[in-house]
Amino acid sequence: MTSKSINKAARKTIFYLFVTTLLVGILLPVYFLVTLSFLSTREAYQFPLPMTPALKTDLKLGYGERGYLLSVWERSEDDYATVLDTNDLDKMRVYIQSILGTKITDEELAEQIARLESSGEEEVFFTQPRNLLYNYETFFRVTRDAVPALMRSIQIALITIVISLVIGGMAGYAFARYLFRGRDALKFSVLFVRMFPGVAIAIPMVLILANMGLYDQPMGLALIYSVGSIGLTVWITASIFLGIPVSMEEAAQVFGATKLQSFVRITLPLAFPGLAAAAMYAFLGAWNETVAAIILTQFNPTFSVVVYQTLLGATGQVNLAAAGGIAMAVPAVFFTFFIRKYINQMWGGMRV
Amino acid sequence: MAEVYLNHLTKRFGKNVVAVNDLNLQVHDREFLVLLGPSGCGKTTTMRMIAGLEEVTEGTIFLGDREITDLPPRKRNVSMVFQNYAVWPHMTVYDNIAYPLRLKKMSKQEIDKIVKDVAEMTSIGELLDRYPTQLSGGQQQRVAVTRAIAVYPEVFLMDEPLSNLDAKLRVAMRTELKAIHAKTEATTIFVTHDQSEAMSVADRIVIMREGEIEQMGTPEEVYDNSANMFVADFIGTPPTNFFDGEIRRANGTLHVVNPRFDMALSPENAALLQAYGKRDLVIGVRPENILLVDEADALLSTDVLVVEPQGSHQVISFEFANKIVKIVAPTHPPVSAGDRIHIDFNQRSLHFFDPQTTQAIDRPESG
Ligand SMILES: Nc1ncnc2c1ncn2[C@@H]1O[C@H](COP(=O)(O)OP(=O)(O)OP(=O)(O)O)[C@@H](O)[C@H]1O
Ligand SMILES: [Mg+2]
Repeated sequence: MTSKSINKAARKTIFYLFVTTLLVGILLPVYFLVTLSFLSTREAYQFPLPMTPALKTDLKLGYGERGYLLSVWERSEDDYATVLDTNDLDKMRVYIQSILGTKITDEELAEQIARLESSGEEEVFFTQPRNLLYNYETFFRVTRDAVPALMRSIQIALITIVISLVIGGMAGYAFARYLFRGRDALKFSVLFVRMFPGVAIAIPMVLILANMGLYDQPMGLALIYSVGSIGLTVWITASIFLGIPVSMEEAAQVFGATKLQSFVRITLPLAFPGLAAAAMYAFLGAWNETVAAIILTQFNPTFSVVVYQTLLGATGQVNLAAAGGIAMAVPAVFFTFFIRKYINQMWGGMRV
Repeated sequence: MAEVYLNHLTKRFGKNVVAVNDLNLQVHDREFLVLLGPSGCGKTTTMRMIAGLEEVTEGTIFLGDREITDLPPRKRNVSMVFQNYAVWPHMTVYDNIAYPLRLKKMSKQEIDKIVKDVAEMTSIGELLDRYPTQLSGGQQQRVAVTRAIAVYPEVFLMDEPLSNLDAKLRVAMRTELKAIHAKTEATTIFVTHDQSEAMSVADRIVIMREGEIEQMGTPEEVYDNSANMFVADFIGTPPTNFFDGEIRRANGTLHVVNPRFDMALSPENAALLQAYGKRDLVIGVRPENILLVDEADALLSTDVLVVEPQGSHQVISFEFANKIVKIVAPTHPPVSAGDRIHIDFNQRSLHFFDPQTTQAIDRPESG
């Protein structure tokens, strides 16, 4: 090998190392979060943390000082660990269900007890399936108003998209197509609002929204979020429209279209991928925002607010917190992938 | 009737840029008219005003007896091939051609028939289902042309439609455009800055400079009777050679005298210059009208600077009064750099210009 090709190989290796590190850095936390959200409370506090949740639970019943002795198979110890000594079957069932995240009914438990008594053995072994969604069920059960809050959040995000795309898109079009006095200054100033933290804007907004009767209303929050995202939308759409040659529209007009038709039928579809990207940003911004939502809602919180509140109340239950985080992320991830897929399928795979 | 009349057409951008200045032009029915001129002379602007894409500052535009000066583009019944083709990337070739027809509210069957017919004419029948990104530049250009002829316009505008093609395809396409024009017989205005393209396709050429018309006429007229030094220089490759000289009368005949030659004028040329009151003049000689002759008949003798063989002919350069003069000569006899050559002018094809006005001397106003 010449020194040149060694050099090349080394550079390639460094490149892949870098990419891998980057991927691991991004994906590992996500992986842990997802795993954690499926772990039982007992698993969640083991060390080392299990890389995957168990799909079944091996249990052992015997006799203890206060009644029956419940032991559970511990993967990390490779042995049974005693977890409960009680004669209260209800307590035992609840423990199995909640702490071990395992499916069991009163009858099934009673059956195992009967087996222990009738067999005359010291102990009996049995296996129950895991309830992997236990954390999610709990999360939605304990989170007050989780479903209405979710609906509200979706509603707010959609309104935000519409407002910021319509207004931001029109402004972006104007920036891209028309020369006017102060254009650059104006274009810069639309980013101005983003330089302030959300809280700083939220406080005066409480007063303004209260005056408009929009305090604690989805519309009010959507307006606030639109203000935040319009700046970005203007920039994104302006560059999209700049990338579409004016002659595309002019051709349509020469061939019989009105200005409006040429915009709707030519420019808009061509801008669609960019508009979708702008919509995505607007969605994510509105979806994940918590601070302003806490300040600007009272009885009608958004999903991010209730997740936040549950997480605060769920100290000592990281797996529950993880489930909340995932529940929050799923719609955003879904929306993002949906849009990406849609964009990539259009027009014989062309890129705009 | 699809005549186009441009009356005192002027376009100003802002206060200072005059892109088109008081242009008067009549395009005949079914004519293939070429607007020719150097970059920035206002060809595109003129065309865009006809299409309605650019507001007219002053003057009027008529299509037949219909004034269209202020009509929106869609009401003018003109169609256009754009320099970057402007085919719509999100529509298939079929839809690109069909969309203008749908805008005319034609029936599905009618549209289908027209699309298939015109696609046949431009041989893109196989491409109808493709998207423009799946086409080569030349194919996209065909789509743009097909779309433009499908609407059966009264006037067909083409803004440098061939400039993005490679040299060979360009030559092939211009022949085809000419053939398509022969079939459709639509009045065509074709913009180019390539004079050989203009010469080969035009019924009539309009040569523009800085927003004004320098000359208009058939390719032969503008070539043989260039109205001024600009046109003589712009038309033809290599361009016309210019020689300064002054008129002298000796032995009863007129001579044009120059420090390096003394040319007795032929009776026709002498008659032409008889009425010219001034002494100084410029002779314009096209490269093929400089003849290689024997030393005895030579007007002047000189050393060859460079020879560029072209296959069918050769281009011989020599220096004269600090300028390069080019001769187009047959490949035989062979000449090489450094050789001594003896030349004469073909007196039947000389052009004379007034150096002050740069206008041709005593030519009837062309038009
Ligand atoms: N939108 C505009 N604003 C200001 N000036 C313009 C505009 N469009 C054209 N011009 C000016 O008008 C003049 C004529 O331009 P035009 O595009 O008609 O030239 P052209 O003959 O088509 O040149 P080319 O061969 O390079 O295409 C040029 O000086 C150009 O700079
Ligand atoms: Mg042009």
